[in-house]
Amino acid sequence: MSTLTIQNLTKEYGSVTALEDVSFELEDEFVVLLGESGAGKSTLLRCINGLTEPTSGEILLNGEPIGESQPEVGMIFQQHNLVEGVSAYMNSLTGSLNRTSMLRSLFQWQPREDKQRALEALETVGLLDEAHQRVSQMSGGQQQRVGIARALVQDPTCLLADEPVASLDPSSAETVMSYLKKAARAHDVTALVSLHQVNIAAHFGDRFIGLRDGTVEFDVGPDGLTPGLVDDLYGNVETVGLATEETSSTTPTETEPEASV
Amino acid sequence: MSSDSSQPDGLRAYFGFDEQRESPVDNKLRDLKRRKTLRRLWTGLGIVGFALLFSWSLDTVGFSLTELYVQLPEFAEALTEYFPPTTYFGFLPFIDVMQYWEFMVEAELFAASQVTVAIAIAGTALGLPAALFFGVMASERVVPYPFNFGFRMTMSIIRAIPALVWVLILIPLGGVGPFTATLAIMIDTTGYLGRLFTDELEEIADGPIEGIRSTGANKPQIVSFGMLSQVFRQFIAWIAFDLEHNVRVAISLGIIGAGGLGLELNIQRRTFHYTEMMACIILVVLLAGSVELLSQRLRSYLREDDDVEQTGILEAFVTAPKKIVQSSMGKR
Repeated sequence: MSTLTIQNLTKEYGSVTALEDVSFELEDEFVVLLGESGAGKSTLLRCINGLTEPTSGEILLNGEPIGESQPEVGMIFQQHNLVEGVSAYMNSLTGSLNRTSMLRSLFQWQPREDKQRALEALETVGLLDEAHQRVSQMSGGQQQRVGIARALVQDPTCLLADEPVASLDPSSAETVMSYLKKAARAHDVTALVSLHQVNIAAHFGDRFIGLRDGTVEFDVGPDGLTPGLVDDLYGNVETVGLATEETSSTTPTETEPEASV
Repeated sequence: MSSDSSQPDGLRAYFGFDEQRESPVDNKLRDLKRRKTLRRLWTGLGIVGFALLFSWSLDTVGFSLTELYVQLPEFAEALTEYFPPTTYFGFLPFIDVMQYWEFMVEAELFAASQVTVAIAIAGTALGLPAALFFGVMASERVVPYPFNFGFRMTMSIIRAIPALVWVLILIPLGGVGPFTATLAIMIDTTGYLGRLFTDELEEIADGPIEGIRSTGANKPQIVSFGMLSQVFRQFIAWIAFDLEHNVRVAISLGIIGAGGLGLELNIQRRTFHYTEMMACIILVVLLAGSVELLSQRLRSYLREDDDVEQTGILEAFVTAPKKIVQSSMGKR
């Protein structure tokens, strides 16, 4: 049970505006964030997690402003960001660091329930039998599932995922996404997942937010994601192959071969 | 090729200093020739400079081939003492190995070797905590820029003074003996191993650090789980390497009186017992060699992670020469 509120969020990197006046509210939903590379998806997620400081605007979780490095918010990264030299169990257990003292965590003196939680999280993502394995020996899909387990051990009220399946093959991508959805439902958390693959997004999302040039282009429910909306969002990319008269001037790769012939 | 205009200034054209040509290709060719000429000039200057430096060095050290020639008979005589000849079974000429063995037993050289190894192990273990502390604190990833510099500087100063000199400095504290040698190696390890740790920490990936940060961990936890856990294996490998290095240092510290095998070696040299001295040297080679072999083994096992072939200890000895060559070629 959680509410994530974004109010007039703006983030500037020097003269570049990554996010401009973004506002929305999420409540116990599985929300997919769509948009081109550079549209501001990663920046938005990093702001919510506290890894990046927003320039202006507010982020509220259950009515409270979010601070730096927020244990309430679990994050899943595209490159999974696990410690590769140690076991899946150890990585999963690092999710409990925020409620363990330095000394206890150093000697692995976590309470028994935290250790159980780490293994339960691995069970949720179907990796209980592989818990002892070193992460570097696992496949990309398995690694990403360990990443989900670590986020779950944090016991978050909100789960963020930054292109969690971008570097996976289609079948692993679907496996990871279904575990992610299952985990979000089982733990009753709000999930905000950025994706590139529109078909996967359509299959798993309850709600879709489209970002373009740092602003919200659309915010629709499960029936609202029409081909027209998607075409608008990825406009330049979709029409390259067609090369109609209004876009040909903006795509130099189309015109160059013509000129050289 | 043999056009009239290029003939008179053929030499200038060869070095690329003739007049501007019309075609851009010819111009580029002239330009390239000119660059080549300049490069050759600099190379020539470098060679002359080095030759001067080299001849000055030879002069300073009093290098003389005639001296070598005059002294050659004496060295040959020493050689027969280094490697005393004898005949086995009445006819087979070979080195009298038993002479070495008898001296090793008589002078208790094996006990001396143990002292050398003990100096190295104790010194490494005592220096390790400080090396870890300084190594981690000197990393820019852990301590922000101006503040990490103090730790870096401390290690630089320690390394600027060789272990041999540290012993001399510490003699008033511990006297001339293994104890002082251990203290010297402890200090040396702090500067040397700490620097290796710092270098290793500079190369860690940002991803896992961010991953740990995202879980809400505090700063010490981010350092130990996000950073140190990435280099744990490398640290163990460097400790093995430093232990190996310290055994060699302990031998050389013995030569200036700090006990162990080095001390015994120096005593025999001073009394011109060349056969006994060679017995010590043989033990030095065996000791340093086997420590290097073991540490090499451990390091390659840790570094190559899962890909390493699981070989037995016997095969390790067989493949050792190849591995030592590889490591000395810079694969280390």
